[in-house]
Amino acid sequence: MTDGFAHLTVDRVERRSRSPASAPQPVGRRPRPEAVTTAITGYETRARLGAGTAVAVGPEKLDELDVDRPWLVIVWNDPVNLMSYVTYVFQKLFGYSLAKATRLMLDVHRKGRAVVASGPRERVELDVARLHRHGLWATLEHQS
Amino acid sequence: MTAPDRPPVLTRVDDGFALSLSPDERALLSSIPTQLADALGSVGETDGELPEGLRRLFPAAYPTDASAEANYVSVVRADLVEHHRHALAILARTASATHLDDEAAEAWLAALVDLRIVIGASLGATEDPAEPARDDPRYSDWLCYDYLTYLESLVVDALAGLLPPPAPNADDTTPDDPWGDPPGGLRWDGTPVPPNP
Repeated sequence: MTDGFAHLTVDRVERRSRSPASAPQPVGRRPRPEAVTTAITGYETRARLGAGTAVAVGPEKLDELDVDRPWLVIVWNDPVNLMSYVTYVFQKLFGYSLAKATRLMLDVHRKGRAVVASGPRERVELDVARLHRHGLWATLEHQS
Repeated sequence: MTAPDRPPVLTRVDDGFALSLSPDERALLSSIPTQLADALGSVGETDGELPEGLRRLFPAAYPTDASAEANYVSVVRADLVEHHRHALAILARTASATHLDDEAAEAWLAALVDLRIVIGASLGATEDPAEPARDDPRYSDWLCYDYLTYLESLVVDALAGLLPPPAPNADDTTPDDPWGDPPGGLRWDGTPVPPNP
């Protein structure tokens, strides 16, 4: 079963062909992982980078198996939770210093969101669940 | 709302906190958590069964991926409901106590957070609190919300004093904010992201 590795490789091919390093990045929102994967329509055959092996790709699996891009825990601003409480939760759950927790809280407050942790999907999903237990509004995002 | 010369609500003692509250405050704190805990009893294990007023206690983990979200909900929902109800039950049960151990104080904080989220959502509370108008039909709810805000801030400060020292190297583990713009396009509740200030 080589699917996992193949997905990883194909995603790299797709992304390289779409955004070469020299091309200027568009201003504004970057595409979500979904936008990248839906560019591969259905089950297509792609040449595997370097090895020239043809592989079948299920786009719905791309996100799960791409180990290069970490998953991000994003906390969103909400009008109810107290700033001191949000800072406290970041310290308690992630072991951050008061300074770091405060900076993340202020990012949430001023920019509307902040990345508060990242890592493998299983771990950050647990982080999101812990944040939800504390009443914070957290989501997962696959880094694009 | 509260007299400036009142004694400290929470005082650190050896094995927890000494608690000083008026009978009115204790009556409020013993009744409203029970109402919310009862309402949570009707929450099922899927979003379809979620009463509108409680939705904000259960934010989406995957706002743009329905199947991943359904899976997440199926894994965590029952535990999350139980967690909220447990904290609310402890607050209601210990509202008349004069001493809280650390565990009970944590439950107080969790319950106060839940109550403020639900009441704040129903009031449409914003980050800039305005003095509630006396002719507002929900004037008493606003007073309750403001009181819970006051109490929560005291409990947060008390518990923050008990936090262990920062974990070694923990501060280095998060990536810098990788976006110029908010990611995704949808917020936690499925609404569009507001433009950057």
